[in-house]
Amino acid sequence: MEKRVIKKDALAGIIKNISNDMLVYAPVQDEDNVLFKVLEPGMEPLVEYANTKNAPKNFFFPQTETMMKYFRTERGRELAEVVEDAADAVLFGVRPCYARSFVLLDNIFDDPKYKDSYYIARREKTVIVSLACVHPPYTTCFCTSVGGHPMSLEGSDVVLTDLGDVYLAEFLTPKGEKLIEKMGNLEAADEALDAKKQELSDTAEKEIKSHIPANDIKPWLDENFENPFWDTIHRSCLACGTCTYLCPTCHCFDITDEVKGEEGRRIRTWDSCMSWLFTMETSGHNPRTSQKERWRQRLMHKFKYFVDNFGAVACVGCGRCVINCPVNIDIRKIVTDISKL
Amino acid sequence: MQNNPYVPIPVDVDKIITEVTTKDIKTFRFTFVNKEDEENFKYLPGQFGELSIFGKGESPIGIASSPTQPGYIEFTVQKAGVVTSELHSMEEGARMGIRGPLGNTWPIEYLEGKNIVIVGGGFAFTTLRSLINYMIFEENRSSFGNITVVYGAREPGLLIYKDELAAWEKRDDINMNVTVDKGDETWTGREGFVPTVCKEVAPSSENAVAVICGPPIMIRFTLPVFFELGFSKENIYTSLEMRMKCGIGKCGRCNVGNKYVCKDGPVFSLAELDTLTKEY
Ligand SMILES: Cc1cc2nc3c(=O)[nH]c(=O)nc-3n(C[C@H](O)[C@H](O)[C@H](O)COP(=O)(O)OP(=O)(O)OC[C@H]3O[C@@H](n4cnc5c(N)ncnc54)[C@H](O)[C@@H]3O)c2cc1C
Ligand code: SF4
Ligand code: SF4
Ligand code: FES
Repeated sequence: MEKRVIKKDALAGIIKNISNDMLVYAPVQDEDNVLFKVLEPGMEPLVEYANTKNAPKNFFFPQTETMMKYFRTERGRELAEVVEDAADAVLFGVRPCYARSFVLLDNIFDDPKYKDSYYIARREKTVIVSLACVHPPYTTCFCTSVGGHPMSLEGSDVVLTDLGDVYLAEFLTPKGEKLIEKMGNLEAADEALDAKKQELSDTAEKEIKSHIPANDIKPWLDENFENPFWDTIHRSCLACGTCTYLCPTCHCFDITDEVKGEEGRRIRTWDSCMSWLFTMETSGHNPRTSQKERWRQRLMHKFKYFVDNFGAVACVGCGRCVINCPVNIDIRKIVTDISKL
Repeated sequence: MQNNPYVPIPVDVDKIITEVTTKDIKTFRFTFVNKEDEENFKYLPGQFGELSIFGKGESPIGIASSPTQPGYIEFTVQKAGVVTSELHSMEEGARMGIRGPLGNTWPIEYLEGKNIVIVGGGFAFTTLRSLINYMIFEENRSSFGNITVVYGAREPGLLIYKDELAAWEKRDDINMNVTVDKGDETWTGREGFVPTVCKEVAPSSENAVAVICGPPIMIRFTLPVFFELGFSKENIYTSLEMRMKCGIGKCGRCNVGNKYVCKDGPVFSLAELDTLTKEY
């Protein structure tokens, strides 16, 4: 692992420079929101921000993407082109919880049997540069309850830690190390900075305000697919899907076709288990008949099924669904309530 | 591109057979456009494919042919919504796509050396037909014990694979019991519901496995018959259906408990189903 020091006021410029020869996806101010977006020429990313509205999963798994194109022939429609357009890229300004979310998503998209070429190609060509949460941004953050940490290195290629006057830059992977030369002349980091970082790590952990018993509820979930408790959480849910779209670990999608004249494309779009249509069969049969079953699915998927299959909870504790749910359904409260049953 | 699991394999519609008098169930025989695709398409009975029509979409459909019938692959499809209706309007010679083979298979290795009871209802007989053709194939037949088939439809006109049923009736190495809920003037065969016929045929559970596919109501009334006959839940297999898209365990749509029906299924034993949630 290589370690360097980056001057505080130099960082935004360095990332801007990188965006001259590579695709850079980074937090930018967009009216009242901070969003992950592609840096256009001349744009600088935000380096001081609380958190972004959207999760950066969009970069590897876009909200809408063209999978392939086709055209009409005499015999029907035939394949014209498989669209695989991954380019060398930097994903900058990722919070440690998102970096972990990619490790979780890899279980789905990069499983031994079926490789999702679209996701994997982008993932392989992208360097993830994270900004450690020296001060966790929100009171709703609960990463430490679900296997994360505000200063976690998991899933990142480079981690930048704000030490007050400089950033400590840790280049963790070979992919990350290749970025050093693109960052100009960076001073080597001396060991005193490690101690400083450790101190900040301890205080950051203490600053996490929310704690949930995420790992304790599995035995209850194993036994209680049928339980009156499930009648209590969904009643106010609007099925808007905000929680699933903003969630860094939600990966459900739909595949649809779009035709214009002689040409057409097959596209993939995010979908949501909160929608009644999600499991609706042509015959009219729907195994999940009400929002109760859909909410149970969301919770079970994150805190039981994913644990059964991959040994980890499919929630990184970003608190995004808690902040953005229009009717204030709070996954922290649900988990806590279950732990008391 | 070869490794992109979303890209359909190009196939030609080689032959279309209308199976039923209501004309809404047809069998489609496809041939592969590229020889190497045909060689790579290695499947076993019980698996399914995503029939892919650019411009319309994709539908998961069980493979109705058997790997012992090389050169083509068949699917029997009921006209239902967008994709299946488009398929029904297609003509021989049309070009489309298939993704697959997908999902797990009937437990062939486990079935070997055992007596096999096949129970099918309506047009959910497709992958059972694949299994029967696989088992009675000359080189495979001796690997299996007695084969008993109970297959039923509402009326004679709704029985599928009629020519094959007749050919199987003539063989002495397979015990055929074809039934209809209600016959017509020309029907000389058996009348009665599938569960009732199973009771009458009363296949022994000794060293036997039952493979059952059909409408939920048929399955509901058939299972008690097999429990009564002494079949354990480990020795009864069925195939599940859930709405699907990707077919490869990624789009998150088809899970029953912690299993994806597309990837971990569609074939499950009743014992396995007992460990899953009842949400299908
Ligand atoms: C493993 C498996 C095997 C099947 N085998 C057969 C078969 O051999 N013959 C047959 O006629 N039908 C079979 N089906 C059901 C068949 O998939 C649906 O009838 C079909 O997808 C309807 O598609 P559509 O485009 O015509 O309908 P629409 O309502 O227009 O389709 C919407 C889309 O939703 C999905 N969908 C809707 N209903 C179902 C469903 N019941 N199961 C799975 N996906 C669905 C499909 O992606 C479909 O394209 C099988 C289903 C599964 C899961
Ligand atoms: S954000 Fe809230 S209201 Fe919307 S689907 Fe999720 S839980 Fe329901
Ligand atoms: S807090 Fe909510 S949005 Fe964030 S990872 Fe967990 S479930 Fe997803
Ligand atoms: S169909 Fe996509 S996960 Fe099963």
